[in-house]
Amino acid sequence: MNVETAVLPQKRFTIKHGSWLVLSLLALAVVFAPLPTGTAVPTTHTLHLEASSFAFSPAILEVNPGDLVTIELTSTDVVHGLYLDGYDLVVTADPGETAILTFTADKSGTFRFRCSVTCGALHPFMIGKLKVGPNLLLWRGIALSVLAALIGLWRFRQ
Amino acid sequence: MAAHWLGSKTTVNVEMAAQTAVSSSDDALAKDREWLARALLIHLIFGLLLAIFIANRLDRSVEVRAVMPEKGGFLPDTLTAEVGVPLELSLISDDVMHGFAVGQTDWPAVDVLPGQMTEVTLTFDEPGTYTYYCTRWCGANHWRMRGTIEVTGDEKGETPALRADAASVVEVAIAQPSSPPLYVELELDIDAPHTVDVHLDNPPSAARGETLDANISSSYLSRDVYLTQPPFEVWQALRLEPETAALSNSDVWDLVAASWHSQTTDEKLQLGQTLYNQNCAACHGNSGAGDGVFGQEFDQATAFTDAQIMLGASTAVLDGKIRRGGMGTGMPYWGTIFTDHEIEAIIDYLWTFQFPRE
Amino acid sequence: MSRYDLTRIPAVKTLVVNRWPQFILRAIALAGFVVAILAGLFGTPVGSRNLSIVFVWIAWWALLILAAVPLFGRGWCTVCPIPMAGEWLQNGAVLGPRKKETGDWRLVTGNLQSPIPSLRLRQWPKRFRNIWLQNGGFALLALFSAVVLTQPKVTAVILAIFLFLAVGTALIYERRAFCRYLCPVGGFIGLYSQVAPLEVRVRDMAICASHTEKTCYTGNADGYGCPWGVFPGGLVKNTTCGACMECLRTCPHDNIAIQIRPVGADLTVARGRKLDEAFKAFIMLGSAVVYSAVMLGPWGWLKTTAYNVGSLAWLGYALAFLLFILGLLPGIFYLVTWAGMGQRVNLRVVRQRFTANAYALVPLGLAAWIAFSLSFVFANISYLWPVLSDPFGWGWDLLGTAVTPWTPYLSRIVPILQTLVLVGGLAWAAVTARKIAEEKRGGTALPAIAYCFFITVGMLWLLIG
Repeated sequence: MNVETAVLPQKRFTIKHGSWLVLSLLALAVVFAPLPTGTAVPTTHTLHLEASSFAFSPAILEVNPGDLVTIELTSTDVVHGLYLDGYDLVVTADPGETAILTFTADKSGTFRFRCSVTCGALHPFMIGKLKVGPNLLLWRGIALSVLAALIGLWRFRQ
Repeated sequence: MAAHWLGSKTTVNVEMAAQTAVSSSDDALAKDREWLARALLIHLIFGLLLAIFIANRLDRSVEVRAVMPEKGGFLPDTLTAEVGVPLELSLISDDVMHGFAVGQTDWPAVDVLPGQMTEVTLTFDEPGTYTYYCTRWCGANHWRMRGTIEVTGDEKGETPALRADAASVVEVAIAQPSSPPLYVELELDIDAPHTVDVHLDNPPSAARGETLDANISSSYLSRDVYLTQPPFEVWQALRLEPETAALSNSDVWDLVAASWHSQTTDEKLQLGQTLYNQNCAACHGNSGAGDGVFGQEFDQATAFTDAQIMLGASTAVLDGKIRRGGMGTGMPYWGTIFTDHEIEAIIDYLWTFQFPRE
Repeated sequence: MSRYDLTRIPAVKTLVVNRWPQFILRAIALAGFVVAILAGLFGTPVGSRNLSIVFVWIAWWALLILAAVPLFGRGWCTVCPIPMAGEWLQNGAVLGPRKKETGDWRLVTGNLQSPIPSLRLRQWPKRFRNIWLQNGGFALLALFSAVVLTQPKVTAVILAIFLFLAVGTALIYERRAFCRYLCPVGGFIGLYSQVAPLEVRVRDMAICASHTEKTCYTGNADGYGCPWGVFPGGLVKNTTCGACMECLRTCPHDNIAIQIRPVGADLTVARGRKLDEAFKAFIMLGSAVVYSAVMLGPWGWLKTTAYNVGSLAWLGYALAFLLFILGLLPGIFYLVTWAGMGQRVNLRVVRQRFTANAYALVPLGLAAWIAFSLSFVFANISYLWPVLSDPFGWGWDLLGTAVTPWTPYLSRIVPILQTLVLVGGLAWAAVTARKIAEEKRGGTALPAIAYCFFITVGMLWLLIG
């Protein structure tokens, strides 16, 4: 950049600004870089999910973006429900009656699902995850964390 | 007056700062402010407490708390009422979702939600003992969650008009059983084993049975046979009839299926299925295979898909088992809950596990 | 660094110095507090439908950690109702200093008379003039959090214990000893108030130096001597200042100001860094990590273990929790600090650096708590509507919202906010670590920054992974 042409008292200033510029550009790149969300051909998934004593089992579901997902929710103790973050979908399951939730996984990322029917003391913490393709938010977050850590190291090195 | 108290403080403050002596009028003012503050506090706190207390006393309805059966079920589990006098209940759950319904009535069940009060009003037309029960599965012992309402007073001559303005106010008219259940009348031992040695390659088809041109006696198609005879015995009897000589074993089973099917209606099966899914499937499984989520809690719940067990049982035996329950298993008794019609519908639906609908 | 003196604005000054606004806020808070205790004791045992749980752990907590602490520091302590009863007993008045029948101003002497006749109020024991008790109290409470957060009765009992402890302490010890040395909440509010953009400070130290009466400490007709036992002239950090506003009232020279300042200004003040505060930073950071795993993770067995207080499994959990927040987290930090200092340093110096560097964890910890709280606050704040209508679960419907269904808010945006908060916290921690490292020649921030980086990644994985 213009480091060479700058006079000495201003040099530090310029480098500092240059660093910030580079850092900001990197941060923008991390946030907005188009990353692939998976290339798998959409398929149909039927996922069986059991709900009992403040836990979903399996607690982590994985599908690919675009998949047609059917969640069969079975409660094995009391009435539970499932609310899927991001998709804003709800289903309620009585023990003995399997509840079906069908949707297209058209939003990619990792979403929490939570019990939607008060099922005892720990009800608000009954949580599972649905992973739709790679968790880009997490990777972007980690990359941003690297930049954030650099902010601390950067100026120190000068 | 209050504005004066509130507003003048800071100016006084600065002026007073350097002084050590305080004038007596300021003293009085400070004292007045202090008393105002105290009055405010006392009114706020005690007023609030009083308001809460009074509001709590105002509600005169009977509170029924619902907790999981292991912790007590319905509290209280006995209620009393008088014929024609509305019984106001406040239903609330202390843990999970429960339900509330009164057995053998067409009064619609309500959900009893955790921490949320549901108000219902029941008015009874006839004296008697009514059973109220939980309608949402709340654990393996859910069906134990029951209570009774002892209704006293004279039978009312005429049913008062339904009050249409309040949705939760419903007249309760009990369908009192007029005669003893069939298994008592027939002196059946419903606990006796009824397994038969039968092997079917395909489930019998009522539709095929209807198309078969077998000129069998209409007595085989009677309601009496359906109620009192196990299908296997009917099949055996039919097999011996000359009219079925030309038919294969499975053809004869199709005839039995057709006979059984003729005793029900689609509406009844629909009702039976709904009741089955709500009340039976948690143990016996949606598919009737005895693989419900609580099936393992007790001795293995009976599989209605098992031909050897089912084809040896008569409708009267099934009716008895449903009404009385027990059998040394976790099977609840439903006699005080379902109406005759509902039990019939459930049994009709149970038969479809052997004689599937098309 | 530049400061903006808010109390130069007459309206602000009046609002702060006049006792009524604060008194009314506190009175309302007290009423809410009493109702919360009542609701916990006599209301429905269903937490999500009981005012005690929803108000305290969702509404109040959200207000505290998402707004009050990051923006106002000890702003909550300004209006906290818990010490009120004790203060009234000590002061013999609920509003302002009162003239006793003898003609003496009660507080002019520093209020040494206990409300218990013939008992002089004592000074808080010297060995406990630190926040170790608060550290212990918070850690202890945290072990029971799965029960405390979900059982209205337990919450009510804990609130009541707070109240009784505060009154009891006020009967024996001077000033707001409970707030400063015992309150488990006050401990971390103090720690995190260092990041707040507001501070109460003296305008001109020279005036204080020449003011022999020190009415800010001893009290006068206009206000009480510092209830937190702090001499405002010596304030360099927010940690011990309770933001109670008394010194603004008592200073005869109008020498005390509330100022807007650069955020996090206290963290790089080398003076007065203490090991107890350093440990507070670890306890808070560690608790945020553990809570995120236990409460928001997909592991049901962990939740049940944390909930079954008294069981063998819970004892294991409690032990693991304590080891993590008091052993593992500070232990690793100590080791990396040591590693970053080269071979030939004595352990006393390592300990000093350990303490100093730990202040970099303050913004990180606050960010971790905000990120953790965003999850359950937005998912569950809709419980507030029914609870406002029916605080006890008695079937009331005051506002017509008693049956408003539970609806998570912003479930698509919250993970993004959490990411930004965590990354921001890390950047802030990294800059702070660098500044702290620069205090000493040859100091390096690398170990502390690396440590913060891994904690951030861990939190990201727990919350949005």
